[in-house]
Amino acid sequence: MIRRFVERGPARAEGPVQPSASFSAGGRHLSILTDTDRGRTILCEAQPEERPWQRAPPGSPLELEHGGQVGGYGTFSFQYGPVAYGVQEAGAFKLATYGERVVKAVPIVNYKKRGIEGRVAGMKPEDALLLLERSAGHFSASYSTCFCTAVEDALGLDVPSRVLWDRAVAVELERIYNHVHVFAREAEAASQNVAASQANALGERVLRLNAKYFGHRYLFGFGGVGTSSADLGTQGRRRELLAGARAVAGEFAGLMDGLLSSRIFLDRLQGTARLSKEDATRLGAVGPAARGSGVEADDRHVYPAEPYHDIFVSLETEREGDSLARLTVRAREVQSSAMVLQELLDRMPPSGGVGSRGDGGEDFAICRTEGPSGDLIMALGLDGQGRLAFLHVRPSSAANWIPFAISLEGSVFTDFQFAYESFGLSFADSDG
Amino acid sequence: MWVLRGLRKGILTTGYPGKGLAPDEVPRSSFPPTPSADADWAKGGGLCPTGAIQGERVDAGRCVYCRRCKDAGFRFEGPAPGPMASERAALARRVLGRSLHVLVLDVGSCNGCNMEVLNLANPYYDFNRLGIFFTNTPKHADVLLAVGALNKAMVETLKRTYESMPEPKFVVAAGACAMSGGVFKDTDGFASPLGDAVPVDVEIPGCPPTPLQLLDGLLLIGGRRRAP
Amino acid sequence: MSPDALLFVLLAYLSAALLACFSRRLGYALGAAASAAAASLSLYVLLGGGGTELPLQVGVELSLNRFDAYFLLVSSLVWLGTCVYSMDYDDDYPAALSPLFLLTILSMTVILVAGDAVSFLMAWETMTIASFFMILQGRGRREDVRRAAFLFLAFGEASTVLIMVSFAAMYASLGSFQFLGAGVGRVVGAYAPIAFLAALLGFGLKMGLVPFHVSEWLPIAHSNAPSNASAVLSSTLTLMGVYGFMNVMSRLAPYQLWWGWLALSIGGVSALLGASFASTSEHFKGLPAYSTIENNGLILVALGVYLLAARYQLSLMADVALVAAMYHAFSHAVSKASLFSVMGWLSKVRRSFDLNAAARGTAPGPMRATAMAAVLSLAAAPPFAGFVSEWMVLEVLFQSFKFPDVASQLIGTVVGALVALATGIVTVAMTKAYGFGVLLSGKGEGSPALRGSGWYFLSLVTGLGVAAPLVFFLAADAASGVLGGQVFGTFVTGLLGVPAYFVILSGRPFGGFSPTFTAIFMLGMLAVPLAVARVGGAWRPRRVAGWFAGAARPSDEGEMYNSFGYSSPFRIMLRLLFRTRESVLRAGAARATGEYFVDVRIVDVFRRFYDISAKWALALSRETGRYVMPGRMGRYLAYIMLAMMFVLAYILLVAG
Repeated sequence: MIRRFVERGPARAEGPVQPSASFSAGGRHLSILTDTDRGRTILCEAQPEERPWQRAPPGSPLELEHGGQVGGYGTFSFQYGPVAYGVQEAGAFKLATYGERVVKAVPIVNYKKRGIEGRVAGMKPEDALLLLERSAGHFSASYSTCFCTAVEDALGLDVPSRVLWDRAVAVELERIYNHVHVFAREAEAASQNVAASQANALGERVLRLNAKYFGHRYLFGFGGVGTSSADLGTQGRRRELLAGARAVAGEFAGLMDGLLSSRIFLDRLQGTARLSKEDATRLGAVGPAARGSGVEADDRHVYPAEPYHDIFVSLETEREGDSLARLTVRAREVQSSAMVLQELLDRMPPSGGVGSRGDGGEDFAICRTEGPSGDLIMALGLDGQGRLAFLHVRPSSAANWIPFAISLEGSVFTDFQFAYESFGLSFADSDG
Repeated sequence: MWVLRGLRKGILTTGYPGKGLAPDEVPRSSFPPTPSADADWAKGGGLCPTGAIQGERVDAGRCVYCRRCKDAGFRFEGPAPGPMASERAALARRVLGRSLHVLVLDVGSCNGCNMEVLNLANPYYDFNRLGIFFTNTPKHADVLLAVGALNKAMVETLKRTYESMPEPKFVVAAGACAMSGGVFKDTDGFASPLGDAVPVDVEIPGCPPTPLQLLDGLLLIGGRRRAP
Repeated sequence: MSPDALLFVLLAYLSAALLACFSRRLGYALGAAASAAAASLSLYVLLGGGGTELPLQVGVELSLNRFDAYFLLVSSLVWLGTCVYSMDYDDDYPAALSPLFLLTILSMTVILVAGDAVSFLMAWETMTIASFFMILQGRGRREDVRRAAFLFLAFGEASTVLIMVSFAAMYASLGSFQFLGAGVGRVVGAYAPIAFLAALLGFGLKMGLVPFHVSEWLPIAHSNAPSNASAVLSSTLTLMGVYGFMNVMSRLAPYQLWWGWLALSIGGVSALLGASFASTSEHFKGLPAYSTIENNGLILVALGVYLLAARYQLSLMADVALVAAMYHAFSHAVSKASLFSVMGWLSKVRRSFDLNAAARGTAPGPMRATAMAAVLSLAAAPPFAGFVSEWMVLEVLFQSFKFPDVASQLIGTVVGALVALATGIVTVAMTKAYGFGVLLSGKGEGSPALRGSGWYFLSLVTGLGVAAPLVFFLAADAASGVLGGQVFGTFVTGLLGVPAYFVILSGRPFGGFSPTFTAIFMLGMLAVPLAVARVGGAWRPRRVAGWFAGAARPSDEGEMYNSFGYSSPFRIMLRLLFRTRESVLRAGAARATGEYFVDVRIVDVFRRFYDISAKWALALSRETGRYVMPGRMGRYLAYIMLAMMFVLAYILLVAG
């Protein structure tokens, strides 16, 4: 969906340009810059500015920009994870503290580094897709959409509109169940058990919709290069899906009214892990984490490719930058996603055949997709046989680790889960 | 206030395994490839990305349900594949009775299995009613439920966790990744199938296994479900 | 009984002090023997052997009645253990330590057996000055030790002056100095409140109570001292305060309401502040020293309840409160001396007072066990003595609804909340002292004297809790001659199959508790499963590595939770009390190197006040010293002593 927004530019572009990712391909150092204001993604050779995630050699803790020692009487650091309730994944944090207060947090992401980028080089795109879908299972539709679009771009395929719309439906469903899941986890952390159960039940209903219309609870395997196997053929099925999704969104709104008026719940979130707009911009936060701090970043807005180019997507932002702001953004996005789904399903174009190879393919493409936790970037190159020459992934979580770590400074331990869940971070979603 | 909200929703929980399942209750993401009459095994084997189709049989532990073998005449119907248990699992019935404390250990998953494991707690499945509980420390755990493709960086942790558990202890490998490595078996990070690192008692196929499949696997350890 | 026994004890202490000038080990050994004799003598008196008097031909007399005997029993039991401990602890302190130590003990004995106010005051002053020199022998930075010793002296002199005021008021009313023995009438009129207030403040100073000193003198003075001195000061010097205060109280009935209120308030606030500062102390000996403030606060609370209950003629409640105070004084003295001996030993072998410092030294097994029993007792865990006494204090506070007026009810309730909070907070302090101080230090071999003192204190702390009813008999018996205790039999009784005298009833109908049978029950609860496991074949101990959230055991000490972190939640939660200031420096230069520097401080709310008052006290002594004997502190002290004696002699002459 992106090619026309990619410009090749100088290493130091004019204006407010953020470096978003950088990688090596074919012996060249390439960087992807983002010009949010003008909706451009700029590719340039050479590394314009060292970014934190580049400094993380595989298998080492992320060295943050504020790495180094913590000193002072009574301070110590300890490792939280990789088997910890608050993380639920094979990942850990090195927390420096003097007891109770987090002085510094360093995420350790190497526990599940699988080396997907290295593995897929030389693979056929459809084989690589299997790995990418399973890179972060709960963001599978975003990965699949991003990858397939990039491959189509690189090949110069004309893809039927219907396939693009199917993918958008999947991505929005994924956004809804992930946001609902975040709420369930936050409510559980605040011991709001009824609310947590109800949110979990709503999430389960979306998963069942996924299974019914896309053949898989986590949307694995519905997409392919130039194709989609979603079962949305008839008007009736589309209406059913829409009714299901709207019912979930409606009940979720009711649940939110209760939860966000609960003093106990709000107390845990208000002022927790505050991320200023300056830090969010400077550190390149993405997704609800950025929007919660007032940064107007949403790929669906900035790069409105089909079908988002003629569908209204409300841009939800908050100013406070705390966990509550991030959750509020998520709560509203559940509703806005339901509205987007309504438009997508009402105006779904008729299906057509698989597109044929058009001209203009450059064997190279960059694609960005707004997943549930934010901007997912993939840059890939194809060789002459249509195999992947290289693939670079910049997952949304990878962009948010440092903003998260910075926001956590000064929090107390009990804030940890409320902060962590509100960012929607995942260690699986860090395998660049 | 919240109690009322809760009551207003009525009962969502499935009657499984006491009662059968209503058709719309069956959550499916794992469809076992079933050869139809004219299935082409050789072609299926060629299409299969994980080597689950070998000779004339389907290895459920490798299948990631990508549905590619559709072109070779395989259909995707019937019940999700059930858990597979070792002999030792029968011991559990005697010692553990009706209470299981489960430590969930992610050894390198994509988070899909983690999500499904968490879903066991949602009102549709409510595993607490069956006497199954999560615990956060291996020292209280009866069962180690491992998900994901065992990563090299997690091998030590897995062994350490297993060592820390009190006897009798049981290990469940959930998902194709834990059983065989799935699509990740050739990545740099992948160490080995779970069974090569610690003794595995129950294996649950699926990518990811659905909550009901996980429930089946755990009930097998409690001795409340017979191995198929 | 012949006064010879008393004379024998006193002479034994005196010869021990002299002997210690030549051989400290022999001196301590003789001190231990003298303590054993003193304990036997006081037990004999308590069990009905009759009081003893020792008239000296200088207008003063020494006498040992039952009330004195109770406190002498407590003290000499502590001294016995401490003397044994000192035999090996004191091997590289200056030679002056051991004679001073024994001299302090001697002067405390004289305080307890003083039959009149003048000899009491002389002994009191001797104790203060001997302690001052003992503290001067302490380790650490020279200025710190000096500062601690002078603070001790400054507040000690203030205490003496206030006690003199109190005694003068009593003398003015009674016309005699012989008011420390049994019954010579009551202080009446305006003299009573003056005597009460001056005694509360004067003896309160020695007990380390608010507002005289939560943060400076007691913890600093006692923690910089050599540890055997700390043990004796922290347990028995404060006990002298309790003894003196109760003695004065006995002459002041009928009590006025505000006395009880004042005692309750001071006690409650002291308990809470003592507990809070103990929990955030990172000092091997500062922590138990702060806990002393908490415990003396509890004793004063119990006495406050006694004052009110006696005034309202709630005799059962009064008796329970009185016995609670005396029993708590006993349990605290024993537990604190035990804890100080272990913490002192560890800080000596580790060469650091810092609980956060990397652990290197070890303590012998019996001492570790003693520390365990002592912290459990001080943290009020059943069946130890501290639990029994704190339970009784809380019980009588819960019954403050029985007071007929609202003000007493309200104060009782609020103080009850403070005390409950304090006992909760002090648990953190005690687990911290044991966990980071003792447990992390490891177990090692020790000399016979150290092991012996360990066993001795262990049996004392444990036995005191289990045999609580027996101690009650002694305490109530001791108090009956002086303060009342008429209905004692009704609250130590039998109930629900528990034989008579083994259940403590705090009121009818109210709580009841049997420490002895709780101990038996707990042992049973432990023994039954153990036996089942042994016999049933389920006894398969298994050793596994510690669990570090799946990660490898950290190799570096800096990767482990430390003592400071353990109590940081308090620093953060009670930020209003501690005036916590947390600063993390990462701006400017630090930002470039990526280094963080953390500085967390707590500010003592009363610090400013104390700094100023201590400064005044020091300035005063410095100025005086400049005029009298420039620069020579020792001679200056001799001067104070002489001046004291002169004043006393003058009073005596004029009065005579």
